Amino acid sequence: MSNILAIAQKELKGYFAGPIAYISIGFWALMYGWFFNALLQFFVRQSMQMNQFGMQGPQAMNVNQQLIRPLIQNVTVLILFVMPMVTMRTYSEEKRSGTIELLLTSPLTDFQIIVGKFIGAMALYLVMLAVTLIHIGVLFIYGNPEWKPIVTAYIGLILMGGCFISVGLFISSLTKNQIIAGMVTFGTFLMLWVITWIGSFSGPTIDKLTQYVSIIDHLDDFGKGVLDTTHIIYYLSFITFGLFLTAKAVDSERWRG
Amino acid sequence: MIEVQHLSKRYGRVTAVDDISFKVERGEILGFLGPNGAGKTTTMRVLTGYIPATEGKAIVAGFDIFEQPIEAKRRTGYLPETPPLYPDTSVIDYLGFVARIKGVPAGERRQRIRQVMERTRIDDVGGRLCGKLSKGYRQRVGLAQAILHNPDVLILDEPTAGLDPKQIIETRQLIKELAGSHTIILSTHILPEVSQTCQRVVIINKGKVVAVDTPDNLTARLRGSETMYVQVDANGADASSALGRVPGVTRVAEAERKDHCVSYEVDSERGRDVRRDLARTIVNSGWGLLELRPMRMSLEDIFLSLTTDETPAPATDGDAPAEAAPAESAES
Ligand SMILES: Nc1ncnc2c1ncn2[C@@H]1O[C@H](COP(=O)(O)OP(=O)(O)O)[C@@H](O)[C@H]1O
Ligand SMILES: [Mg+2]
Repeated sequence: MSNILAIAQKELKGYFAGPIAYISIGFWALMYGWFFNALLQFFVRQSMQMNQFGMQGPQAMNVNQQLIRPLIQNVTVLILFVMPMVTMRTYSEEKRSGTIELLLTSPLTDFQIIVGKFIGAMALYLVMLAVTLIHIGVLFIYGNPEWKPIVTAYIGLILMGGCFISVGLFISSLTKNQIIAGMVTFGTFLMLWVITWIGSFSGPTIDKLTQYVSIIDHLDDFGKGVLDTTHIIYYLSFITFGLFLTAKAVDSERWRG
Repeated sequence: MIEVQHLSKRYGRVTAVDDISFKVERGEILGFLGPNGAGKTTTMRVLTGYIPATEGKAIVAGFDIFEQPIEAKRRTGYLPETPPLYPDTSVIDYLGFVARIKGVPAGERRQRIRQVMERTRIDDVGGRLCGKLSKGYRQRVGLAQAILHNPDVLILDEPTAGLDPKQIIETRQLIKELAGSHTIILSTHILPEVSQTCQRVVIINKGKVVAVDTPDNLTARLRGSETMYVQVDANGADASSALGRVPGVTRVAEAERKDHCVSYEVDSERGRDVRRDLARTIVNSGWGLLELRPMRMSLEDIFLSLTTDETPAPATDGDAPAEAAPAESAES
């Protein structure tokens, strides 16, 4: 465990020692703020129109449904752009600079290194998510959204982010070149993202299938305030599988030399 | 301390290391000598558990590196060809991280890092970023990293490569100080390094061990006879027959002729010093003796003769061509 933490801390420090942490957090905060602002204005306009028509009660605008849920959906777009930056160098850079030789000749298991790197990236992601809590806080000051769907949405976001990180980690372990790693990761994320649309345009069986495969579709229930174990298990298995593939890649690299 | 048995490593169809075997005793410094591409780095990577071998066995610090890699790694310090530094990390932070992953107990880390920094003379750059260090400092931080957890075995891949002469001397000195408490394998493609630092040499070429011995023995073993280099101003006369009559001399060959000055290579029986008689003969004949010196076969020549197929040309400074036996196969 202490080995895992040592790696995780080194990773997190590494993000902040270079530009990655600042670029990704900055980009994240900026884009999140922009989405938030756009959605909020849209929401305010809509609810004013609603008021004009004199609609009240259960039909009225719901902050959770009309603002927070679409906002969370938009976070998935942000992940698409930001997460490749976070994961692209995890392995590539160690391989390029030769520091991987230090890690692999130290008394560490591959598991400890991989999980350590995963936790390090997760920690940076949590910092990014923490930035978004500021916006949510604002909603609590000026409105009264339900907190439960927000909590479940964030649990969903954390799990979904973990899936993307495990994929990014795997791709980074395949190449020495962090730029290639970043681009391939972006492409892969895009595919995972696009699958959802393909599903909605196709027949019901394919739709069902893509809904299951799509990381993003599984987030929807979390946004509605539902904590469904199938989704949680899906995400956790996805992460485990990603880390497993990374372990396989690291090991086969070792055999190939 | 280290035992390598029939180790082979193939990358696809390239055989980088081909059935090598050797042993290193506790406290010994073993030089791993070979031209570029000989398989030194590959062997060291196998011994440190970075890559698995295709065949064979290696025991490091009492543990099989393939069966119990963690235990073996715990007792091994490794300086790769390029020091594995994180450019954005300060030297102190870097060593702190290494201490953690190498399993130095939390309470001892601070003191251990300070000791090692003093020992490798990097205490003045503790706060600097590793990426901003000069090559010499980088190499020393790499060395500090390798000895941080006080390992039984130290594996150093070309520890003096790219350093300036002063740094090279310092590094060699440091390595010698480390021997005794550590068992060391160091690789190099530079010969003087081996004779100055190592007690034993493994010469490796194209993945195969071609010789294992002490530097002195290697020199002696390959020297068939004693050869003298003699330069004479004989006013145009031929001195070779006179020199050939000196007792003990077996052969006289003209090496070079410039105006009046003629240079000869004079072979003599082994263990017989013919210098005095040669000098007397020349002076008594009324010639000028310009130069007289033994031509010992240097480690350089031995190395060349063992690692190249063609016979090396005699060096211009008069060193003898290698008349060494064809590359011998490994012993031990
Ligand atoms: N990762 C690798 N993939 C393929 N061939 C390699 C690899 N590493 C080394 N080699 C080959 O193995 C041989 C030995 O290389 P190396 O051990 O680096 O030699 P040295 O350290 O003695 O210069 C060389 O021919 C080299 O090209
Ligand atoms: Mg090498």
